[in-house]
Amino acid sequence: MEKKEGIAAYLNAAQMAKLNQLVLNSRYVVEGTLAGRHRSAQKGSSTEFADHRAYMPGDDLKRIDWKVLGRTDKYYIRRYQNETNLRVYLLMDRSGSMNYTSDPDRPTKFSYASTLAAALGYVVLKARDSVGMYIYGEKMDAALPCKNSFNGLNNSMKILQGFKPEKGTNGAEVMHQIAEAISRRALVVIISDLLDDQEAIIKAIAHFRKNMHDVIVFHIFDPAELTLDLKRGAQFEDLETGEKIIADPRSMSKEYKDIMGKFLERYRETCAEMKVDYRLVTTDEPVDTFVRAYLEERKRMSR
Amino acid sequence: MFGSPMFLWALLAAAIPLMLHMFQRRKTVLTPFPTIRFLKAAQKRSSSRVRFENFLLWLLRTLLLVALAIAFAQPILRNLSDSNGWLSRSARDIAIVLDASYSMNYEMDRGKVWQICKDAAVQTVQGLNPGDRVCVYAAGDQPIPVIEKPTTEHATVVSAIQGLECQQGTSRLEDTVAFALHALAQQDDKRARELFVFTDGQALPWQGFRALSEDGTSTNKTESTAAVKITREMRDSVSLFSLLAGAVTPDNAYPADVKVSPSLMLAGQSARIQVRVGRSGPVKQISVALSVDGQESGSRSLTVEPGTEKPLEFVLNNLEPGVHVATVSTPQDSLSADDSFQFLLRVRKQLPVLVAGPSDSTKYLRAALAPGAADDTVRQVSSSEIESVDLRDYQAVFLCDALPLSGQAIIRLESYVNNGGVVAIFPGDAADFSSYGEFQMLPALPRKATDIAVSDAARALKRLPMQPGQQVNFQMALPPGTIPTVALKRVVEFGELAEQAAVLVTAGDDTPFLLGRAVGRGRVFLFGVAATREWSTFPLTAFFVPVVHQLIRQGAGASVQPTHLVLGSSVPANESIPNFREDDEITTPSGAALQIRDNGNHNFFIESVPEIGVYTRTKASGGAAESVLAVNTDRFESHLDPASPEELHEWTGFKKFFAVNDAEELARVVEEHRNGRSFTEVVLWLALLLSLAEWWFSNRALRSRKGATENLKVSLSGKVTE
Repeated sequence: MEKKEGIAAYLNAAQMAKLNQLVLNSRYVVEGTLAGRHRSAQKGSSTEFADHRAYMPGDDLKRIDWKVLGRTDKYYIRRYQNETNLRVYLLMDRSGSMNYTSDPDRPTKFSYASTLAAALGYVVLKARDSVGMYIYGEKMDAALPCKNSFNGLNNSMKILQGFKPEKGTNGAEVMHQIAEAISRRALVVIISDLLDDQEAIIKAIAHFRKNMHDVIVFHIFDPAELTLDLKRGAQFEDLETGEKIIADPRSMSKEYKDIMGKFLERYRETCAEMKVDYRLVTTDEPVDTFVRAYLEERKRMSR
Repeated sequence: MFGSPMFLWALLAAAIPLMLHMFQRRKTVLTPFPTIRFLKAAQKRSSSRVRFENFLLWLLRTLLLVALAIAFAQPILRNLSDSNGWLSRSARDIAIVLDASYSMNYEMDRGKVWQICKDAAVQTVQGLNPGDRVCVYAAGDQPIPVIEKPTTEHATVVSAIQGLECQQGTSRLEDTVAFALHALAQQDDKRARELFVFTDGQALPWQGFRALSEDGTSTNKTESTAAVKITREMRDSVSLFSLLAGAVTPDNAYPADVKVSPSLMLAGQSARIQVRVGRSGPVKQISVALSVDGQESGSRSLTVEPGTEKPLEFVLNNLEPGVHVATVSTPQDSLSADDSFQFLLRVRKQLPVLVAGPSDSTKYLRAALAPGAADDTVRQVSSSEIESVDLRDYQAVFLCDALPLSGQAIIRLESYVNNGGVVAIFPGDAADFSSYGEFQMLPALPRKATDIAVSDAARALKRLPMQPGQQVNFQMALPPGTIPTVALKRVVEFGELAEQAAVLVTAGDDTPFLLGRAVGRGRVFLFGVAATREWSTFPLTAFFVPVVHQLIRQGAGASVQPTHLVLGSSVPANESIPNFREDDEITTPSGAALQIRDNGNHNFFIESVPEIGVYTRTKASGGAAESVLAVNTDRFESHLDPASPEELHEWTGFKKFFAVNDAEELARVVEEHRNGRSFTEVVLWLALLLSLAEWWFSNRALRSRKGATENLKVSLSGKVTE
């Protein structure tokens, strides 16, 4: 059978159909180039009233609110909300730790992240918004600009398919670069296991928030990573550093779970403080089910 | 010690867990994992705990294998203080003591306690090695040597034990044990010594041990045991095994004792029979029946608290003169030996009296005692005839001016009084007062007779109050307000009072009128006046007859024979058998002749009544046999009160004391004592416990607490909530 490429490698027709009616909304105002369904940061020519402003010489007279003038005998200018399209950037982590699955029948974390990216990209494009992608490992590997065409997404997915998760990670520094690179307010979706220096990562996410971007973090883990539910002792090798240790997971699962719990809790708390949407994703859950549930919940939240 | 020491090699298996552990560590699989840094942190944090748990697990597994190896080796704990501890097959000397008291007849589900004990004793002998020596004693009222010297002929011993009969009396274990221990002590010193006591476990037979003084010597006063002592050394060196085969909660009701009143019964009188009924076991209604001469004459029921005795009274009316065998019985129970109590009711037709002296001097007395003159209750003889009359046929002897008497007559009179007779003496003019000196038993010696002036003749008779220590007494019921008065014409003056003599009545304030003295079991009374009107008006007064009757009754009361005897008691024949003569033949209930010892001087003595039941007498002159004695067991052991092994251990003071309730248990304890106690079972249980602990501990990880990640809840959309 011919190997599928691009978006088709990740989503089949049925899954796409399931995602058709969904929308990824930004919870904050965003800046775009096209007229769209998202509120823009700029006031401009639309039918939706925003506010009044005092008249200043040079203003177009047709903008004066005559009803207010009649009532108050003062000149006010009516301002309207500018509407724009949403730009979504998907940040894909391809570090070595993403290449893990505890069960051969289950996708690796990277494979799962790619599927998730494809689903999200599809949803974004269906809403006539644009989607871009950054792929990084130890350094920035690819920066694909925002496009609102399926072809663009397809190309992005093909490029993503070309990368294999390997080597170490330097996620924090790359994220700082990306934060600086995105000039206008956008929706940044980070899909990673965030197994890096935790405080550096938190600072990088804060950088996005400082630049007024809406941020969603999909924290991907294999279930075994959370509970250390491995049946027998073994020599473990780190996927990124190659370090080896001998351990009996049964004897230390309690301590491991405590440490892991604190690690996750730190991310969850700081994300909540920064108003970043944090989602823990385990690879044993079907992507389309997850995306659908997530988007519907987000839609309810943004109302 | 170990039964199979070869299995100790299996202790090497204790190294298996360690070897497995070391072997297993090298065999690991390389697994790629993303969160090694968390693993490392967790390992660092858990390492000390894991090391400790691993150590515990190793310890558990090693101990388990050690326990299994030891269990297979059959460990045996031996008493090292035993002189021949490591040579359990050495020869031994054994003494067997069988409690032969009547309480051993207690009927249990398995049979009589006596039979159980005999079987256990036989089993003990049969379990001995051929070289072991054994002696056998039975404990009755006295120790009974069955096999006196320890012998190796076990078959003889077994047949001797099987031929043993249970005794009817109680038992004294401490005496028998002392005998048995001495029989052992006389043997070769090097052998191990064991003493077996087979008993029903009642506390009473063991009480003698409590009386033993601290230094280990017996304080028993009986002659038989004075020479035989249980020394401290014996108690330390001899192992005492006791089979307490009796019921733990015995059930027994019994008549404990019978008292008959009045002690002197005359025909036509009613007799009150007081029965004490004892009880061991739960409270129960007990019906008590009284039968006289085989005819049931009364039945009553009562409830007795356990461990106590309660009185019950029967009244019998219109008893015929003669000797009646009466039986009080309780319903048959597990211990039937004490269910009936036999006693004799001796009913007399009359009280025969002998009056000695000249016809003139005795006529008032005879008239008073036998108003109809044809009565055969009073016999008058002259003073010379006294020595030819058998005084024991008479209740009282009156001497009216009868002195002087022959020496033979005086001896017979003294013997008569000593055996419980009454002699009343009225002085007279016939004899010189010096002839009274031959009488050793007078309350006081008469010195002379003085005449009383008519003006001073009327005297009121006064009874003197009883003094402390006074043995002789005189009491006469007169109508209230009556003041007996006599007119004295002539009265005897007395010298000093003899020992145990007292002035009972005075005429006026200071003239002694009636003196009395206790001599032996009998009484001697001496009047200050003669029984004639020449001396005083006393024979003519209304109270002459009551006074004389009272004196006769005193004699009758003093010479009453007991209604029953206790088994084994030793009594003078004259006191227990009415009118006993040396040519009488007394037959025991089993038909044998009762042994009566002649102490000389007409003193006959029964050393021991050998069996219970009614004894009969056949007179040499012929005639039908009559019942003379009723013998019962004393009921000490009927009060069944089992002692606990701890109490017995404390009382006996034996260092190695083992008491069990079951013959099989006894065999086991003896085996354990001789060969040591096997710990295989204990060690196997320990191994089972260890394996359970190991299983629990090694699977503990599966049940360990939840970690923090499991406390975080992730919604379907992946949102983390708490």
